[in-house]
Amino acid sequence: MTELEKLRSEIIARGDPKKSIITVCASTGCSALGARKVIESLREEIKKQGLGGEVEIKETGCLGFCELGPRVIVYPEEIPYFRVKPQDVSKIVSETVVNGKIVEHLLYVNPVTGEKAQKLEDIPFYKHQLRLLLKNNALIDPKKIEDYIALGGYKALGKALFQMTPKQVIKEIKKSNLRGRGGGGFPAGRKWETTCNAPGEPKYVLVNCDEGDPGAFMDRSLMEGNPHSVLEGLMIGAYAIGANEGFIYVREEYPLAVENITTAIKQAEDHGLLGKNIMDSGFNFRVKVHRGAGAFVSGESSALMAAIEGKVGEPRPKYIHTAVKGLWERPSCLNNVETWANVPLIILNGADWFRNIGTSSSSGTKIFSLVGKVNNTGLVEVPMGITLRDLIFKIGGGIRGGKKFKAVQTGGPSGGFIPEKYLDLSIDFDELAKVGSMMGSGGVIVMDEDTCIVDVTRYYVDFLSKESCGKCVPCREGLRQILNVLNRICSGLGEGEDLKNLEDLSKLLKEASLCALGTTAANPVVTSLTHFRGEYEAHIHEKRCPAKVCRALVAYYIQPEKCQACMACLKNCPVNAITGDKDTVHVINQEKCIRCGTCYEECPFNSIEKISPPIPLPPRHGIKVKRKKKKE
Amino acid sequence: MTEEQRSILSHIQKDVNLSKTEILLKGLELLSEYYSLGLDTSPLSLELKKLEEEAVRHTEALKRVRSREDALKEIIRELHDIDGIVDRYSGDSNALIQILLDIQKQFGWISKLAVMWISEKLRVPFSSIYQIVTFYKVFSLTPKGRHRVRVCLGTACHIRGGPKIMERAERVMGVGDGEVTPDGKFGLERVNCLGCCALGPMIVVDDDYYGNVKPAEIEKILSKYE
Repeated sequence: MTELEKLRSEIIARGDPKKSIITVCASTGCSALGARKVIESLREEIKKQGLGGEVEIKETGCLGFCELGPRVIVYPEEIPYFRVKPQDVSKIVSETVVNGKIVEHLLYVNPVTGEKAQKLEDIPFYKHQLRLLLKNNALIDPKKIEDYIALGGYKALGKALFQMTPKQVIKEIKKSNLRGRGGGGFPAGRKWETTCNAPGEPKYVLVNCDEGDPGAFMDRSLMEGNPHSVLEGLMIGAYAIGANEGFIYVREEYPLAVENITTAIKQAEDHGLLGKNIMDSGFNFRVKVHRGAGAFVSGESSALMAAIEGKVGEPRPKYIHTAVKGLWERPSCLNNVETWANVPLIILNGADWFRNIGTSSSSGTKIFSLVGKVNNTGLVEVPMGITLRDLIFKIGGGIRGGKKFKAVQTGGPSGGFIPEKYLDLSIDFDELAKVGSMMGSGGVIVMDEDTCIVDVTRYYVDFLSKESCGKCVPCREGLRQILNVLNRICSGLGEGEDLKNLEDLSKLLKEASLCALGTTAANPVVTSLTHFRGEYEAHIHEKRCPAKVCRALVAYYIQPEKCQACMACLKNCPVNAITGDKDTVHVINQEKCIRCGTCYEECPFNSIEKISPPIPLPPRHGIKVKRKKKKE
Repeated sequence: MTEEQRSILSHIQKDVNLSKTEILLKGLELLSEYYSLGLDTSPLSLELKKLEEEAVRHTEALKRVRSREDALKEIIRELHDIDGIVDRYSGDSNALIQILLDIQKQFGWISKLAVMWISEKLRVPFSSIYQIVTFYKVFSLTPKGRHRVRVCLGTACHIRGGPKIMERAERVMGVGDGEVTPDGKFGLERVNCLGCCALGPMIVVDDDYYGNVKPAEIEKILSKYE
């Protein structure tokens, strides 16, 4: 304990507060946008300008605003730059680092007011957030344990080990009302207690980072950006429960998360924070990383444990919970990444502090991945209880391209659609359940008027039917039948009976499936039928797709008065279905057209119209083009 | 004596350990017999031809043996590599999935041989391994392309036009989901979310991520890979 404090003060003393630090996000999102090249050019530039000793370049985790990556922050002034390219680097170094001047064109511009943001807090995306878990992502190099220790890392573990008994730790977590962030929202303290009191040795603690929900990436971000916080939480849990062995299950699609947590474990071991006799407390704990192999259903607790045992990741009936009989039939406590990351904060600041954040039934903050047709996409951390409207419009900056909001979908494929009338709903575990959706792991997918609800429902059911393990009949066959019906509706072959059948099948799934994948699979179907029945009816009775998405129900038509005969669509049509020449208005041959939409995207004059139901005006060939006068 | 004859002679000398004169005498004996029989009806020439044919057959057989030897060497090397992977997990049969993941990563697929070898090494039934390999999406029982092209069709990518990207990729590459181009260059896969939802629609070639992709850009992206 004293050694850790000694190390901490040493690390802090080593750092020079006046030293310039340039942090660059090196997580998957920013890397995809070219962060690696920015980091390389920064290193070169620093060398070139002879600033090697004065400037430190730090590769940090995700800050959430992935869309505007690569993101760079220059300390000590804390100036955030977005969309940085390698050619901007010399300016950042020569102006900001050397002269303390701001590079204007790299600042965030508020699209509404036109103001430039010189601090993160000035950006609306960040202003309304409460970043308890994500805060350190921007400051820490996840590959260096020193960074984590300098910011108070492993202090909570020390407190738990030396000042609290295991019983007291469990009591504190129970009191804090921390609920599982993985989806169900089960109180974490109660789960810990169950495992602690369950007969059988050894006991296990596990981290669930099988973030399979399409559209969610908060666990990836935490694992990549601040792996030690998860590890510390896990160790506190292990101490409280009486486990000496832990497993971290990470999905294979997250290679960087695997890399960073593996490094973190190694470093913690080297510092005596993991392994035998941790900090001379007599507590032993070791942990292994298990990579998943691509199966959505393996995120379910009993399936996940089967996967760790080296078996097929299928769920089993849970008459006895995994908390009592889990991994190798032993008591096993499984929590989500975000849940574990909350634990050190609660131990350090106390349960009362945590309860003060959020709502009475759901304490603390929640990280959401705000994606879809919203202006600001990325990861946001907000106190529980924020309204959907604030989340989407204040933080998310409203709908892209000034389009109209249609629905928001929370909770991944098993969540439900929430229509506009519930936008003022405050988000917590219970409120979302009341409107037929769920918190899930925190994906928030915003849909605008151009999104077809029937199509998205079909997408979810397609996803779930592919991911169903096939063990129980209701899920395997029920989902397939629902998918058949939805496929028919989307291809314009829907019949009057279909909606009734969908409702019956949904009920069956909910009542008879083995695991949560099946019982919740009907949520998108049920909620879309409740709130957007009109769209289904348009598909079935009028053969019309209101959002003009379903291919069989849409035709493309070139408006003769708008066409400038530029040949763009004609050249790009993959099936040569467009005729015309440089002086003649182009015409689509509807029989040849495969409705791929390429022409619609290629047309620089917006002259192509989508028509649903697919009955275009009769083609008129040989019309001379009326060119618009070029602006002087 | 020509240069060639001289070298043949020295070879024979080495092989049979006879003196130069003895060989010459034997050769002359054979030659005289040969001439006495007459050239056109010579069974010896036929015999020689047979010998020649036999020699050709032998060399071909030898080639086959060699190539089998090479194949065996290749297999042994693969098995050694697998041994290395298994050792990394100290032969723990609970680590089966981790071992298979490493094999998939190193070889690009899981061969029947690999399954058999692991089955023996870990004392896990062949059928159990086969069950795992077919259950999880990552594993492939056929070789993958040199470059792995993954098109994300997670929800966020789906509503931002992911299906059109997939469709274009299928058309450009001429193969469908899970297939490999005939030249073995690209393998196409659709995946459900790579956690880069803010950048959708997105495609990943090997480890290079491309965000906010437009259908028309697919060809350009793929042309970067050899």
